[in-house]
Amino acid sequence: MKEKDRKFYLASVTDRFVRGQMDRRSFLRTAGTLGLGATALGMGFGSRPFGVSRALAQEQLEPSAEVISWLKDVAKPFAGTTLKLATESTPPSNAINSQLKKYFEEATGIRVEIEVLPLEQVLQKLTLDVASSLGSYDLYYIDQSWSASFSQDVFDPREQLQEKPDLAMPNYNIDDFMPALVDGIAKYEDRWVGVPYDIPIFIMIYRKDIYEKLGLKAPATFEDLLNNSVTITKEMGPNLYGYAGQMKSGHYALECEWTSMLWGNGGSIFNADKKFVGNDERGIAALDYYTKLKETMPPGVDQWTWDGQGQAIAQGVAASMLSWGEFFPYFDDASQTKVSGLCEAVVPPQPVALRKPEECGYGEIPGTGHQGGSSLAVSRYSKSPDAAWIFMQWATCADTQALITTLGGGTGPTRASVYDDPRVKANARVGAGTTRHLSVVRETIDKYMGSEPDLPEWAQLSSDTIPVGLGKYFAGSYGSSKEAMDDIASQVETVLKG
Amino acid sequence: MSIAQVKRIAISDSPWPWLLPLIALLAVFTIYPFIYNVWLSFHEFVPKSRGLKFVGFANWVQLWNDGRFWGALGVTFLYFAVALTIEIILGMAIALLLDAELPGFAMLRAVLSMTLVIPPAIAGMMFLLMEDSQFGALSYLLGLVGLLDKATPMLATSSLALIGVLIAEIWQWTPFMVLIFMAGLRSLPAEPYEAAMIDGASSLQMFRRLTLPMMSRVIAVAVLLRGIDLFRVFDYVFVMTSGGPGTATYTVSLYAWQQTFSFLKWGYGATLSLTSLVIVMVMANIFIRVAKVRW
Repeated sequence: MKEKDRKFYLASVTDRFVRGQMDRRSFLRTAGTLGLGATALGMGFGSRPFGVSRALAQEQLEPSAEVISWLKDVAKPFAGTTLKLATESTPPSNAINSQLKKYFEEATGIRVEIEVLPLEQVLQKLTLDVASSLGSYDLYYIDQSWSASFSQDVFDPREQLQEKPDLAMPNYNIDDFMPALVDGIAKYEDRWVGVPYDIPIFIMIYRKDIYEKLGLKAPATFEDLLNNSVTITKEMGPNLYGYAGQMKSGHYALECEWTSMLWGNGGSIFNADKKFVGNDERGIAALDYYTKLKETMPPGVDQWTWDGQGQAIAQGVAASMLSWGEFFPYFDDASQTKVSGLCEAVVPPQPVALRKPEECGYGEIPGTGHQGGSSLAVSRYSKSPDAAWIFMQWATCADTQALITTLGGGTGPTRASVYDDPRVKANARVGAGTTRHLSVVRETIDKYMGSEPDLPEWAQLSSDTIPVGLGKYFAGSYGSSKEAMDDIASQVETVLKG
Repeated sequence: MSIAQVKRIAISDSPWPWLLPLIALLAVFTIYPFIYNVWLSFHEFVPKSRGLKFVGFANWVQLWNDGRFWGALGVTFLYFAVALTIEIILGMAIALLLDAELPGFAMLRAVLSMTLVIPPAIAGMMFLLMEDSQFGALSYLLGLVGLLDKATPMLATSSLALIGVLIAEIWQWTPFMVLIFMAGLRSLPAEPYEAAMIDGASSLQMFRRLTLPMMSRVIAVAVLLRGIDLFRVFDYVFVMTSGGPGTATYTVSLYAWQQTFSFLKWGYGATLSLTSLVIVMVMANIFIRVAKVRW
């Protein structure tokens, strides 16, 4: 049996066992055939059937022997080194920090300290590190909106691969990273600012049972989305609302959702002359659309970021949302939500019209699948750049990404091959940590991804100027959508002028 | 340094050996940061060059022309005035009620101080949940008595958001006023009250003519301490509204934090912080003179 097939079959039977679809005896027999016998016998199943079984079953998901062997070999000169990484709390970082780095540390003797911080604190730490050139952090977690700012402070991974062949991981295959993500997340001008590390992206998530009950079809267009949401709120409100938004005033979440509405209605943030055009005809139409959609949302949506939005779906308060795909596995977790197995994922609705990237400024790419994400890179100021490069290759290789996706609860991989990994595919069923939405994530990345512009002022515009202005509009501080967008436009111009 | 030298210093009449550690602490943690902040307000961090650039008075000019700053200052003053007024009135009323040796009052006084041990950010989070329009207990109760429409989210409505934040602030810090006022009430002499009762003065007259004048210094100290704290409000606003909706609850501290840490405008952030410090110092000194506070 091929190694790939063996892994797939093993993952499949383990999954069936933890879900109670296979008795213990059958599982042990099958596991023994697959060479897992001794380990399985040591699991001690019996009095604590479900939770423990699942945890132990996950224990079987370990780094491949080839990867561990390479780590042991290549990292010998760096044993005793300590590496530091400051990162936001994202599925890859959490999975590495809590479950996977022990394998790296055992194999290499390199200690890895991961500081999990709020995003703005990561930015502060990185900024201070580059300003002082101290090299306090060996690896940089770089949010996509910072790639322009830090492009000169990190090594281009393609250069590292070429310049240090002795440290290169066999079969690392840098071309496996999805080209759309390299462009959208990890590239600034001609440089790679690290490699794509994680990819939250907007997909359409809806309650299939509610849609079927009301005779509705999954929203294929923005018009469908609004009409369906209106129908659901009218038929089932106030117990259930058609749509949940992420509309907290002044928060980046509001800006993210607004850009989807803007792009989906044929608008863009900037035009080719780098002028803010959120207040043009399409921009106004987008805000009017967003206003109508808000009327189908639960009261209090103005206070929700993506957390509140996700909770609204999980608690059965709303029937649909266009939001981060990495939420989907949570909805399938019966121990966490009321809606396990009731949600479905589809690609974002088709836009009313779509502006072309060449019609926009600062590298903006309109698309209804709003993309977030970050890259991982080795700092130029690191005192141990070689050890950091080894860690970076391990953390972003296909094997580790497959483990991150399965252990980290179905987060979207940034490598194309990982979507086809048998361990990842084996989890494509209803239940905690499902990966059944990943085909939709992949299609959205390939065809519908929307990327925000890259400019140094974007942090301020996206986390303050635009969402504060939109917050004021939704709180009723402006007379019309036109007045609101004109005011935002003038503030954006002020920020850009410095 | 020999043991003999240490002994000589320890028994000398000079105050310096004892003052020097304190001076060193002040220099490191107060004087240097203050001077650095002043210096920083004439510079700005430039992300591209990774360094600070001298910008002269540009940050101060920007401050003068910054509508967001003036809006935040207005919100801060409003927050300060409303919270302080209510905390004084409520604090005094509760202190007068509890200033008696009745059964259970000792326990009530102890319970009152419990709000003070909760970190303000946690208190803000509690009220954020309680004021949620969907499942918040406080919103539900206000709805029952007709003060709030169920479809109106308090913290997401421009006209109500500041009130929502103030409720958390007042809930947490009124007991502080109660404790200070009760300490003051318990130190008042009994004789003037006995004389007033013989003269037939009413309770209200005794409060106006005796309690308030004799408590004036205690009240002044409480106002000064709370006033300084209120002007720096950050936690509740950050946790509950992040300054929104729009800019309805944006305070100067939140704005300074955002400019400094979110947008890395260290120079402008320092300018905002210094302005806030100057306003507090001027107000506190005027108050000390007017209220004749003696330390």
